[in-house]
Amino acid sequence: MSTIRVRSPASYWLAVPAAVWMLGVVVVPIVLLVWVSFWGGRTFSPASPLTFDNYARFFANQTYIKLAGTTVLHTMTLMAVTGVLGYCIAYFLVMKVKSPAWRLALFLAFIIPFWTSTLIRAIAWVPFLGVNGVINQLLMSIGATRSPIEAFLYSHTGITMAQVSLYTMMAAGPVVYMLSSIAPQLREAAMTLKATPFTVFRRITFPLTLPGVVIGQVLVFLNVMSDFATVATIGGNKHALLSNLVLLFYESSQIRAASVVAVLLMICMLVGVVIALRVVDVRRLGAER
Amino acid sequence: MDSLATPLEVVARPQLDLELRGIRKRYGDFTAVDDVSLQVAKGQFVCLLGPSGCGKTTTLRCVAGLEEPDDGGILIGGKEVTKDPPWQRDIAMMFQDFALFPHMTVARQVGFGLEMLKKPKAEIARRVQEVLKAFEISPLADRKPGSLSGGQRQRVALARAMITEPRILLLDEPIGALDYSLRETVMLELKMLQQRTGISFIWVTHDQNEAFSLGDLVVVMNHAKIEQQGTAEEILQRPATAFVAGFVQGNNVFHGRITGTSPDALQVETSAGRFYLPRPVRCTPMLGDAVSFSVRAERITDSLSDRHANRLSARCTAVEYFGSVRRHIFERPDGQVLKYDQFGAYAARIAPGQTVQLGWLVEETVLHTGAVA
Repeated sequence: MSTIRVRSPASYWLAVPAAVWMLGVVVVPIVLLVWVSFWGGRTFSPASPLTFDNYARFFANQTYIKLAGTTVLHTMTLMAVTGVLGYCIAYFLVMKVKSPAWRLALFLAFIIPFWTSTLIRAIAWVPFLGVNGVINQLLMSIGATRSPIEAFLYSHTGITMAQVSLYTMMAAGPVVYMLSSIAPQLREAAMTLKATPFTVFRRITFPLTLPGVVIGQVLVFLNVMSDFATVATIGGNKHALLSNLVLLFYESSQIRAASVVAVLLMICMLVGVVIALRVVDVRRLGAER
Repeated sequence: MDSLATPLEVVARPQLDLELRGIRKRYGDFTAVDDVSLQVAKGQFVCLLGPSGCGKTTTLRCVAGLEEPDDGGILIGGKEVTKDPPWQRDIAMMFQDFALFPHMTVARQVGFGLEMLKKPKAEIARRVQEVLKAFEISPLADRKPGSLSGGQRQRVALARAMITEPRILLLDEPIGALDYSLRETVMLELKMLQQRTGISFIWVTHDQNEAFSLGDLVVVMNHAKIEQQGTAEEILQRPATAFVAGFVQGNNVFHGRITGTSPDALQVETSAGRFYLPRPVRCTPMLGDAVSFSVRAERITDSLSDRHANRLSARCTAVEYFGSVRRHIFERPDGQVLKYDQFGAYAARIAPGQTVQLGWLVEETVLHTGAVA
């Protein structure tokens, strides 16, 4: 039993280390970023006048607007694919794998690749997707295609394939948790009330896992929006999304333009998360159980 | 294997709401239900009674279709349903923890069964209103289960199960999750509800007070098998096995060997002495057979006469007073423990530490004749 009460001085003091850390690595950099994005004038210094010029320049460029559109569309595609795939995997793990040992083994098999960094996993896709890559060799050896398919590597399809593999478990994880917290009696009760298995899924299982689905979608959304590494390695120089634009501007020392894109990217993410929280009140998760 | 191959050549009896024909269910090496046969007449209140793990809940789940028996047949209303899924059976079930849907309001929840039967919306709304009123939960219509008390949840679960007017209602420890003070009232209400609706109730419990006060038919189970089935009185007065005698309250159980027989009596030698039993009609015990028998605590007396042929002396170790009953616990050097109940507000005659002669009549002694179906 904790003897520290909510809102007591002790509870505030305990929050200080975390608060200082968050202030230093999250709040201050974001404030700086937003500040820099408004810097006008010719010199890059805190003395610059604050203007909307940088934003105006971004929105005046059709290429950037299109890029933003592509980014959103690409992210939505990934959310849809990983959502469906992740739910299927979660459902299989929780409902169909009866033995706890097997469930753990399969879950680990899905999870262990996540012990390496996103960058490494993205690069690992290159030998698979290339013209002489594993997938093409396989397709040619079984006679599915005569000449190698070039569309895999350095293409939008390739990026999508790699990211689906990278982020499906993010969509599946929360669903696994929500699914396994549903008491089996609930589904049984529905069945004794004459609900067929499909109806049980539609009326009981799915609504009860919806918070998990939404959390998974938020995770995928945030990660895909900010993933420049996969796009850069798999897409080569031919493809870019908003996050790559940040890198591009940064590398060419256009710090103000980079911060504009970064701020816009953050706004997109915030809007996405707010919408998600509208659908499901994540804070009340499990409160009804 | 002595597979029973679903003996359906016997004509199905439509007057029975439920018939189990030798059902068996195994989980790996563990046999959960072993050759259970049961007939439930129309509108009967049946209690499955037994210690935890005896197979009573598995039996209930087989009836519901939530488990498929490995062997044997299940008939509901004379129709074979052994392989049918739950949603095709004319049953409803009330779960131990009520299994209310956490995301649905009470009204939605109660109407769920009718929704599944594809009833028109207006009819569902009307029926839900009626049922909520009947179960006195109308004010809860828009609440979700998370905010309900135990008693309220129990009513919602019952309303949800009853609204479709099933042929059989299956209840798995339906009042086990309630406060002790609520149980008696709820038991009475459920019994009245059952009698009013004429729906057969199959009530699983480990509480013998529940089983004996509610059940028209009480089925005592142990180790996956039915030990005895009958009315409360039959089971209390004439336990068929040592298990039943020991499981129901108030029996003194003895084990021994038959050392003598006569046309109307048996003589049994036990570690506590020699006792005489009426000779059973239905079976023929042989000399030397190991048998068990019992005598109810209230049939014992300490004021002996010539007619009390069964006697023993024992030392009183404890006296418990329950208001209407004074229960004395006795122990003998051979380890035999004895309970002796005295009714009425007499002054205590026996004190702990005292050694007393106790006895009972031959005809009060019940020989356990084995599992009687």
